[in-house]
Amino acid sequence: MRNKILYLLGTAAILILARNIYVISGLPGEEDQGAIFKIIFFHVPLAITALTCGTVACAASILFLVKKDFRYDALAVSVTEVGLAFLAGNLLTGSIWARIIWGVWWAWDVRLTSALVCWILYASYLMIRRAIEEPTQRATLAAVVSIFAFIDVPIVILSIRLFRTQHPGPVFFSSTGSFPHDWSMIMLWNLIAMFMLGAVFTMIRLGQEEAHREIEALRREAHAF
Amino acid sequence: MHVFPPIVLLAQAVSQDDIIREMGRLQRNYQFLSYGLIVAWLVLVVYVLMMASRERRLKREIANLKAMLEERQRK
Repeated sequence: MRNKILYLLGTAAILILARNIYVISGLPGEEDQGAIFKIIFFHVPLAITALTCGTVACAASILFLVKKDFRYDALAVSVTEVGLAFLAGNLLTGSIWARIIWGVWWAWDVRLTSALVCWILYASYLMIRRAIEEPTQRATLAAVVSIFAFIDVPIVILSIRLFRTQHPGPVFFSSTGSFPHDWSMIMLWNLIAMFMLGAVFTMIRLGQEEAHREIEALRREAHAF
Repeated sequence: MHVFPPIVLLAQAVSQDDIIREMGRLQRNYQFLSYGLIVAWLVLVVYVLMMASRERRLKREIANLKAMLEERQRK
């Protein structure tokens, strides 16, 4: 039943994203940037999903430290890994956009740099987990690293409001930019689809963490013989 | 992005080179947009493939461990 819901949710998300590619292809280009502007319909939902994953990971890590329940640790690692994949997509699509608009693949701008630092911090979180064998020690240290890494999330979000950056300013909930209503709806649907995909990936990853715990229990049993 | 009708171009005395340059820019714009969309999908597909391979490895490992334990219990 759980698997059926996951497949259904995943298929629905892919169908929404595929349909939106068709819709986006019919939209006119932006006045200054042209067609490459349309990358925003994937770039922004990827970023929002990734940063939401970071927030959930932080909450799960705090809950693990408070309650010492390994289910929270499993949630933190699952959601961090999924968020890392989404953030990688965000960085790569942004880089492709920058090549056309700025003429360079990368600029050491506050928004870009803080997003890259965020990716590196969460990648280190996963690497630290691989380096520690003892489960309690691994989960505790990983939770601390996850909370530390989360400090970068608001910096990424607020960097375009607080600092002078090359990165375009906010177009939502801002007086500096505006987005036509129908375009906002496409963006919203893409965001919903990305959240659905993120949820499906996290659920699958959580199942794998359960399997991992089962393997550790079986190994202990084998050693006891 | 403006695509000027030929009469407007004539009126503005736009040269053939300008038109070719603008066409090239448009084409490059669409080319990079398609790269962006491909990359966004590719990252997710690669991640799904990684998860699928891990799933297979975990299932194999559980089956092997269970078989080993059953064998030991029989002995």
